[in-house]
Amino acid sequence: MQVLRALLLHRSGRIGALIIVVYLGLAVLGALGLTPHNPLQPFPISRLKPPSANFWMGTDLLGRDTFSRLMVGIGESFVVAFASVAVAAGAGILIGLFAAWWGNLWDGILMRVMDVLLAFPAILLALLIIAIVGPGTPTSIAAIAIVYTPIFARVVRGPALSLKQRDFVDAARTFGSSQGYILSRHLLLNLVAPLTVQVTLALAWALLTEAGLSFLGLGSQPPSPSLGLMLADSRNLMQHAPWLMIFPGLAIMLGILGFNLTGDALRDILDPRTQRRSA
Amino acid sequence: MIMKTGETTMHWTKSRKLFAAALSLALLAPAAALPAEAATLRLAWAQDATGLDPQKQTAFSSLRLLELIYEPLVQLDPKLNVVPGVASSWQFAPDAKTLTFKLNPKAKFSSGAQVTSADVKASFTRILDEKTSAAARSNFLSIDSMETPDPETIVFHLKTADAPILVAMASVNAAILPESEIEAGTIGTKAIGSGPFKLDSWDPNSKEVLSANPDWAGGKTGVDGITISVLPDETAILASLRAGQTDFALLNDPLVATLVQQEPSLQLNREPGLAYNVLQLNPAHKPMDNLKVRQAISCAIDRQDVIDTALAGEGKVTGPLTMPAFAEDPNSLFCYKQDLTKAKELMKEAGVHGFTATVIAATGEPPYASAEAQVLQNQLAAIGIKLNIQMMELNVYVDRWLKGDFDLAVAQNGGRPDPYPMYNRYFMKNGNLLKVSNYTDDELDGLLRQGQAETDPAKRVEIFHKFEQHLAEMSPWVWLSTSYGYTAQLKTVEGFEPSPTGTLFSLAHVTLQQ
Amino acid sequence: MTYVVQRLLTFPLILLGVSIVVFFSIRLIPGDAITAMLGTEAGLLTPNQRAALASYFGIDKPVPTQYLHWLAGLFHGDLGISVIYGKPVIGVILERFPLTLELALLSMLIALVVGVPLGVLAATRSERPSDLVVRLFAMLGQSTPNFVVGLVFIFVLSVFFGRVPTMGTFTPLFVDPGDNLGQLIFPAITLGFAFAASVTRISRSAMLDVLGDDYVRTARSKGASARRVVWRHALPNALIPVVTLSGVEFGYLLGGAVIVEQVFALPGLGRLVLDAITQRDYPLVEGAVLFIALNFLVVNLLVDLAYVALDPRIRLGAR
Repeated sequence: MQVLRALLLHRSGRIGALIIVVYLGLAVLGALGLTPHNPLQPFPISRLKPPSANFWMGTDLLGRDTFSRLMVGIGESFVVAFASVAVAAGAGILIGLFAAWWGNLWDGILMRVMDVLLAFPAILLALLIIAIVGPGTPTSIAAIAIVYTPIFARVVRGPALSLKQRDFVDAARTFGSSQGYILSRHLLLNLVAPLTVQVTLALAWALLTEAGLSFLGLGSQPPSPSLGLMLADSRNLMQHAPWLMIFPGLAIMLGILGFNLTGDALRDILDPRTQRRSA
Repeated sequence: MIMKTGETTMHWTKSRKLFAAALSLALLAPAAALPAEAATLRLAWAQDATGLDPQKQTAFSSLRLLELIYEPLVQLDPKLNVVPGVASSWQFAPDAKTLTFKLNPKAKFSSGAQVTSADVKASFTRILDEKTSAAARSNFLSIDSMETPDPETIVFHLKTADAPILVAMASVNAAILPESEIEAGTIGTKAIGSGPFKLDSWDPNSKEVLSANPDWAGGKTGVDGITISVLPDETAILASLRAGQTDFALLNDPLVATLVQQEPSLQLNREPGLAYNVLQLNPAHKPMDNLKVRQAISCAIDRQDVIDTALAGEGKVTGPLTMPAFAEDPNSLFCYKQDLTKAKELMKEAGVHGFTATVIAATGEPPYASAEAQVLQNQLAAIGIKLNIQMMELNVYVDRWLKGDFDLAVAQNGGRPDPYPMYNRYFMKNGNLLKVSNYTDDELDGLLRQGQAETDPAKRVEIFHKFEQHLAEMSPWVWLSTSYGYTAQLKTVEGFEPSPTGTLFSLAHVTLQQ
Repeated sequence: MTYVVQRLLTFPLILLGVSIVVFFSIRLIPGDAITAMLGTEAGLLTPNQRAALASYFGIDKPVPTQYLHWLAGLFHGDLGISVIYGKPVIGVILERFPLTLELALLSMLIALVVGVPLGVLAATRSERPSDLVVRLFAMLGQSTPNFVVGLVFIFVLSVFFGRVPTMGTFTPLFVDPGDNLGQLIFPAITLGFAFAASVTRISRSAMLDVLGDDYVRTARSKGASARRVVWRHALPNALIPVVTLSGVEFGYLLGGAVIVEQVFALPGLGRLVLDAITQRDYPLVEGAVLFIALNFLVVNLLVDLAYVALDPRIRLGAR
């Protein structure tokens, strides 16, 4: 709550939070079916119509309303971005912490496995996973998550390792706190700042990767669109119907802007160093 | 650096020359085209050939490349008539069991060697040899023996009457290869054929360089050579055409093709193809085993709407027979006018009150596969069928398709100039792809057999019309449309004649205007 | 030094892991070299024909056997023969590598030349209009998918300038520098746009951090000019994260830029792997992924060493 209040007091954080709230609102409305038109119903008479009072952002090749599809697409893209980052962060943090805490052999094994994943070209790793399992929302989430897991593991392990040596963790240990408590409480609290930055970056990256996968035909599956799929579908229509590229493109841009502004603000708020400086 | 197929020295001087030309291009002002290079046609396509063995390749681009290098015994002209290839004349015995060819005495391989009946015999022996894994082997199983009375005559003795075999021979998959190369085992690594061009170099997925074959029996080609560039994105191909940096291009996407028409410097060649877009139902999966359900699906679909919406209007409603000599008015076929009342009735009679099924489609193959699936999904929702769309990479799709592992499939299947080789594989009782269609009956099987043996063209048309009517009524598949094959060119390119088979053979006669 | 040796010792282990993952996962994908070549016509093959083709493509034996065979070849420096190209995998890779390397270097150059000055500028004018403009640019760069940038480039060039970069082939730098640059400059800008955006962001924030540090304040209080403080005292320290970021990004780019190569029809490593996957050219996928992984490891080692060289306070091994 405190953080949230601080965020709303932060100048750019406020804008970021606003964007995310608006997006979430649109996505929820889209998911509830409260769109101006049916986003999935092809309607041949209204093919490739430019923006108008009826179709605010024009229509696509099949005559579907771009704005309605955008609302659904934001939801789809957010699900992919948030879910994949949540999975990657969860798995990465656990792996990084365990590696740092247990040390030695486990550290070696876990981090080498992470190295293997990291050394794999990211988009190719995603490609392989999708080719094996078949495309779809869950696969996109898994593919993006697996690519980003080692990055989180690395981000966590370094600081965790140095924190482990510090006095207050030793003190907690001698006072008999359980291992799990020490891990979660002290270490994580100190990791919040670097993690926040990483999460924002990862969210932006996930949105872009999803778009890239859609470009290669491996992202979300029709008829429900993601922002990336809408953008990818528009590429041969750039000349016929530029609005099909402009609006999803802007939507992705604004979304990433929202993530970045919020992330920067959170870092300012949470990072003890910046607090010290502004004090 | 590049797979070399010509003599090394030739290749070397050629690349030196190209280098010099490139250098002068860089030094001079960046002109759009250079007169010295004017006789080279710059061609672009999005997908490259996958191999050089003409008897093994089936990919569209491979065939288009190899048709320029190799020749079969006979060819098909743009009206799909059988015309001379390596052979200058041919004769069917009245019982359709013996087929005699006279070879063109001028026919020579690019190595300079004469094409003889021994080469023809060796080529067909290679096709029939199981170890070759020749793509078209199944079309030639009726060959019993071959006889070469003299170097210019080859006689095929057939086990059964087989009229369609002549058309089957008019394919680069039945190309005539030099016997010496077959024996040396170099087919597929060296490309030596008797066609209008020879392959100087091939860098897969990047570039091919072809030069005119001076020994070609067809005379002098209109251009000295062809360079083929692989530009995987068709928008980039259009940009390159627009900038005058490509003379001629193959296009797949109707959306890109329609843009070509808006460019004053470009010309679009639009040719109805033999391939057909189809919604394959799988009668091995419930409830598609029920004739009434299949018929209901056929009645529920508005074929023209699929074309208008998904194909941007670029296509024509078709029945199973797509070749002009056999095609009939599709409106005479079962339920070719959308009839939702009848569809709902049929569903009721079948006792099926809606169901959920998965339709598979290949990403980008054809480019509108996803749009087509979405329109069909929407149309079938009207009779309570809920379709889930599964898009997949082409190769994964092919794997599932071949195993018959789907409820429904959006497909674009290749056509043949003759209905028999086009459909025997799917609907004859011993068809190789029966596992894919999962449907045959006595009538289909019998009609195909009759059509194979009959030599009188008029009677064959009649037989295949019956076949088509029955097939549409049994609705194992729902035939939707034929689409166009597109080539785009600068207006400086003259004399190209497109063909329903998609062949670019006519490039042999194309000239470049300056 | 021992640190470098230690790191180098982990390389074979990591590469072994990469090779196992790629070898087995690529074979899990439905379809094989036969369906890739024949498409639906593969259904017409008789079992004997199929067997003959499988043995031709080297996919007739059990997968573990195939792997051991491949591994044995690897120890002799033999990565096998590519199915598509019909020649040794290593040769195919080395043909494609110069393009990828040059493209990566060029994009990094663009990113640094544009990104660092912009970042410094924004930091020194924090919260003023120029800062906001720079931040907006960075935001734009980081949030535009590169296929959009590439496609817009090609569209604008062909419609308004009547010329597009030569596509489909690659002219090596030493053969014709003009042609070469003409081909690569737009793809490099496309990649460099997002790259420059990251560099701008990170150099801005690093610079802000450093400007707040004690020694900079000291320098300032000693009467050093503002410009001198920024360029002589602050920048070298602010460069540390920039070097790290650029190094890591460069390492990724050496793996090939699949999408940009696809849009500009460049025969680079990324498309090589993509084509190899779609055509199920197993030896080529394995060789190329291994090559890319090795590059990545080496570049990352170099980045870490550069990190030490720039900041002596860091003790290696703690990372």
